[in-house]
Amino acid sequence: MNQGNPVTGRSERCTLCSEPPVIRLPEPERHLCAAHLIADVEERAARTISERELIKSHDRIAIAFSGGKDSTALLVILSRLLPAWEDVSLVAITVDEGIAGYRNDTIRAAEEVTKKLRIEHVCISFTDLIGDDLDTLLIGRETQACSVCGILRRKALSVAAHKAGATKIATGHNLDDEAQSVLMNTLRGDLPRLVRTSDADSSGCFIPRIKPLAEISEKEIAAYLFVQDMFPFLPECPYTRHALRLEVRTMLSAMEQKHPGTMRNLIKSKRAIEKYVDPSVFSEPLRRCRVCGDPCSGELCQVCSLRKSLGK
Amino acid sequence: MKIILPNSTINIIQEDPVSITSILDNLNINPSEVIVSRNGKLVPEDTLIGGDDEIRIIRIAHGG
Repeated sequence: MNQGNPVTGRSERCTLCSEPPVIRLPEPERHLCAAHLIADVEERAARTISERELIKSHDRIAIAFSGGKDSTALLVILSRLLPAWEDVSLVAITVDEGIAGYRNDTIRAAEEVTKKLRIEHVCISFTDLIGDDLDTLLIGRETQACSVCGILRRKALSVAAHKAGATKIATGHNLDDEAQSVLMNTLRGDLPRLVRTSDADSSGCFIPRIKPLAEISEKEIAAYLFVQDMFPFLPECPYTRHALRLEVRTMLSAMEQKHPGTMRNLIKSKRAIEKYVDPSVFSEPLRRCRVCGDPCSGELCQVCSLRKSLGK
Repeated sequence: MKIILPNSTINIIQEDPVSITSILDNLNINPSEVIVSRNGKLVPEDTLIGGDDEIRIIRIAHGG
């Protein structure tokens, strides 16, 4: 096995073969070539799916597919793992929020990828859902962009997934996203959300959500796509600058760089807390929205509350 | 040596050889937030570069 230069740690060869490395990874410290990186990422995604029993025979998986790097990697990985499962089918769902100068490029990228991989692809827009695009809905309330968009995006995805006959919704959340969510929920003092897992819903009212890339870092995902000429060079969402997540992302990646393992440790802490907390303590009895009839915890579901505040 | 930054601006540096880690450090860029290619091929940050190498720093974060 190639151990690299003992003084600098630098390696001119993959830890597993004699090819040039494309990435250096910690825990365990290793340099991987393109082929071994691809195999490593796909094996770990397959292990997450298998250990957490995320996909079962006869599932129809709706992939939340923005056309960005995480969902592109998810689509590629699931399409390659597909032959290993009995009678499982995939459908990619793209939500067009209506964000000028941003979403058109990502939708074009999404169409190209699904065509190349021969995966069924459907689009749903905020205009279909609520009558206006996100840019129009946010006039004068730009700082609420991520919460407004998040509520409508979840609803759009759910509507399209139901229509497509999906039994699971797969999202491209990666290790960095998961660690950021733990820290954000902690900073907000939101213990219920910290211990709630979307795949734990047993009410049967929602399509369960799965995150096959939850153990893979954002950097590994980017490298995985780049070495296959599939990295999407796309603009960043213009509303990202208003998000708490951006601050948390910058802070956490600096911590990770200085103290490798920080992100995994945060997720480990969440799992430890989950063991001692009974999530049912926080769950309110499921009710029906008095406007649309969707399952919710209050009198109105989040979408109808939002409609009311937007005057829609 | 040509360095293409995430915002597409180009820096020419004379230092040779130098590690990508050191270049990122000088540019105040966190290595966890980027991937780096040398002459179009992805390389780890501990790679030494120099000569006529063309280095491209690609930001990986992407909201959305």
